Amino acid sequence: MSMDAFLNDAANGLGAEHVNTADETLTRYGENTMPGGDRRPAAVLYPGSTEEVAALVRLANLHKVPLFPTSTGNNMGLGTRSAPAAGMAVLDLGRRMNRILEIDDTLGFAAVEPGVSFQMLADELKRRGGQWINSTTSGPPQGGMIGNALDKGAGYGPYFDHFGFSCGMEVVLGTGDVIRTGDGSIEADSLVNWHVSKYSFGPILDGLFAQSNYGIVTRLGVWLLPRPPAIRSFHFGFPDDGDLEEIVELCRPMKMSNFVPTLFRVANDLYLIGSEVPSPAYAASGGRESISDDARKALQREHGLGAWTVSGAFYGPSMAAMEPQIERVVDHFCASGKATYIPHEAALEKPALACAVASFSGEPTLIELGLLKWRPGGGNAWFTPGTPMDGKVANEFQKLGRAIYEANGLDYQVMNVAGPRFARGLHVISFNREDPDEAARADAAYRALADAFYARGVAVGRAPVDWQDFHMDKLMPSFRDACAAIKRALDPNGVIAPGRYGIT
Amino acid sequence: MKTAFTAAQLADPGIAAADGILRTCVHYGFCTAVCPTYVLTRDENEAPRGRIDLIRAMLERGGRPDAKTVGHIDSCLSCNACMTTCAVDVDYLHLADIARAFIEDHYRRPLGDRLLRRLVARIVTDPARFSRMSRLAKLARPVRALLPGRLRTLVDFAPAALPPRRDIAGVHPAEGAWRMRVALLQGCVQQALAPEINAATIRLLTRHGVEVVVPPDAGCCGAFTLHMGKADLARAAAARNVDAWYAELERGGLDAVVVNASGCGTVVKDYARLFAEDPARRKKAAALAAIARDVTELLTPDDLRLPETAVPLTVAYHDACSLQHAQNIRTEPRVLLRAAGFEVRDVPEGHFCCGSAGAYNMLQPEMAGALGRRKAAHIDSTGAMAVAAGNLGCLAQLGRFTGLPMLHTVELLDWATGGPLPEALRDIALPEPVARAKSPDPAAAPAAPPPAPSEGSSGAAIW
Repeated sequence: MSMDAFLNDAANGLGAEHVNTADETLTRYGENTMPGGDRRPAAVLYPGSTEEVAALVRLANLHKVPLFPTSTGNNMGLGTRSAPAAGMAVLDLGRRMNRILEIDDTLGFAAVEPGVSFQMLADELKRRGGQWINSTTSGPPQGGMIGNALDKGAGYGPYFDHFGFSCGMEVVLGTGDVIRTGDGSIEADSLVNWHVSKYSFGPILDGLFAQSNYGIVTRLGVWLLPRPPAIRSFHFGFPDDGDLEEIVELCRPMKMSNFVPTLFRVANDLYLIGSEVPSPAYAASGGRESISDDARKALQREHGLGAWTVSGAFYGPSMAAMEPQIERVVDHFCASGKATYIPHEAALEKPALACAVASFSGEPTLIELGLLKWRPGGGNAWFTPGTPMDGKVANEFQKLGRAIYEANGLDYQVMNVAGPRFARGLHVISFNREDPDEAARADAAYRALADAFYARGVAVGRAPVDWQDFHMDKLMPSFRDACAAIKRALDPNGVIAPGRYGIT
Repeated sequence: MKTAFTAAQLADPGIAAADGILRTCVHYGFCTAVCPTYVLTRDENEAPRGRIDLIRAMLERGGRPDAKTVGHIDSCLSCNACMTTCAVDVDYLHLADIARAFIEDHYRRPLGDRLLRRLVARIVTDPARFSRMSRLAKLARPVRALLPGRLRTLVDFAPAALPPRRDIAGVHPAEGAWRMRVALLQGCVQQALAPEINAATIRLLTRHGVEVVVPPDAGCCGAFTLHMGKADLARAAAARNVDAWYAELERGGLDAVVVNASGCGTVVKDYARLFAEDPARRKKAAALAAIARDVTELLTPDDLRLPETAVPLTVAYHDACSLQHAQNIRTEPRVLLRAAGFEVRDVPEGHFCCGSAGAYNMLQPEMAGALGRRKAAHIDSTGAMAVAAGNLGCLAQLGRFTGLPMLHTVELLDWATGGPLPEALRDIALPEPVARAKSPDPAAAPAAPPPAPSEGSSGAAIW
């Protein structure tokens, strides 16, 4: 490997101003919020086009240099911009490849480059008249649309599945070859179906580029939702941890019939309250103990939230027109007498619930970033298992997860994002990364959680960079072999993000 | 972030305050994506995270700062977009002020730099001096090519002509039913450059039952010099305001101190901190800061006395950084403008600074120019007929890059409620007045008000 020769050639091709080896830059690009420490890259490069990305990949093959492509945003809780190992050359696609390439106001799609953030597309859609909304996460507005979709990120509205609601890619393979997927793969001057049809002739290759290191996606089509004239949310607080069983049973039929068009956000107390205030209990134990049940109850009272809060929304022609749906959903959730209804207007007064409303509305928001200061010291990791929409199973899982958090002196913060048959559980592990003991407990908790959930047949949806090998090792050998074989076929020298997602 | 200050260093209140702020930063890096200088340069030291590291090193080391650190602190706009997006609430605003004061005390700038900064601080903060220097700059314009580069910049910034000065000092009685009594900050450069803003503010407020007092001894708020690290000059200017307003408060009571330049409003709202070490003014400053309000915080749509018709002018509303990031005021101006009948359009990349930033565009003209052009392109893309903002600095900066009429929010509100047509709109073809729609039912509004779908779009028809 000759990194120096690679960088020299790269500077000749891109221009020296697009090759950054400043000490401060390398330090920052190696930082993350994981317990395993930082991983300093060798350089950061800023290609400006698919052709430049392809040229860099060919150079990387020539010099046997590992590349680590990043899009834009922060990837917080999952590794930020840290590569799986130190010493790689980061391709930061966010700086120059940040163009919205196309918006089709008839067919409702956009084609974007990796540097396009949720906020950028939302701004542009608004500027064009506001007839469309793009599904956003509840993460920061600067989150990258392509990076999020390829890592199987999600929003909360009808188009929540960001990979599922993408269509048509342009990809630079590990050889430097460029392919277009789907209907984009035909040789024609006009690719009218590239971003509207997923399944025409030939294998569906798109899935190969989600959570993999087989190529660098430089263009993606994303589908847009017509903006409804009115969005009316509803929220229900439930008092007890064990109420999750009832909640899941109540949500399932509402999603099975699609009576409620959004996903349900089923968030626990500390997830919502943590977005508003830091832990009031941390200092007392120096972070060695979980917050007590009494302290949690006090926080619930103070913030007017339950042990669980369920949120969803209707879309319609006016607020008044949705009254019958609201009455129906209130009757449904309040039937047992345990739920407290929180209307739309009242929810807007609570930042944690206003965040849910914004997410249902395609409005990027900063509110949930507050979770990152629940504990001091900047440590944050996401554990993302899932549960079938069976109340008993979901409740068993929450008891299991809560016990492991508590055994490690951490605070259980979780939001289940519920569809008809499945809910993804976003478990936030907040810890003081500057405290080695607490960081070690976070690592231990993550591994214990993963072991316990895998033993029950549950994998994670997204994996932080520290534990991607660990997760890949839990998959069946023949699956791992298949992944490795595809890697060899599409990236024979293994230059694209070796080790990413545990694929080498 | 861990720090390594000695006990002796921490005895200095400024260092102690900086230490508390520095410790909150954990390098998440959300700030980088919204920092204009980082986005344009991709230099870590041109981002808040990098600057925080540089400030830490500078303060820990003590003594004379190095020129590299000073350069990176100087190039910060203090737009505070980083504070809006910071997940752990790092108080960058005050950290930057501490760093700038430290630089001012410990660093000897090159002669040209020193002279320029002194000149800017003296000109901008004194309306009479600003008027004289503007006339001088007009005379110098034909020979600008012969001037040193930095002086050329100042000549370029000088207005071609200044409007006549208006003496607004005194008491302006409320019209109709009396609602409240407020003091209005008349400011410094705004008096000379755009007296119509204060005039419109007084008309708007008095028309809506507000008695407006403008004490003659109050003037510059101190913001310009504070953000240049000249804290003593800033406090001296601010002290005159505190004394004058507090005297009014004791004489006739004050419900608010009203500010119509958001850069100034940010500092006035922070007077308690500015005078924290001044036993004579600490309480007075805190009392006044507590009632300081941007002018758009004083009125609600229900307060507006609106005629039967409205002119549906399409207005791009530009969020001044000091309003949106420092004062968290985003909704109020839009709600008022919409209620007054204007079609308000958001500007893409609205979180981004326009490059004005107090004296920044005079001291850092290249970066300021790049940001001004970028913002103007976004404004032009909205298709609006005019631009509204709540800060004179932004209006002056953007006026150099977009051909659209630039108006302060209060000028539009004043006009819509019976005031004269703003001067900036005299030469454009205005839409025909239309009958004013009845107030919409607030319950009918969606959670996040979107712009109206375009005609013939797939919007309302399918729902």
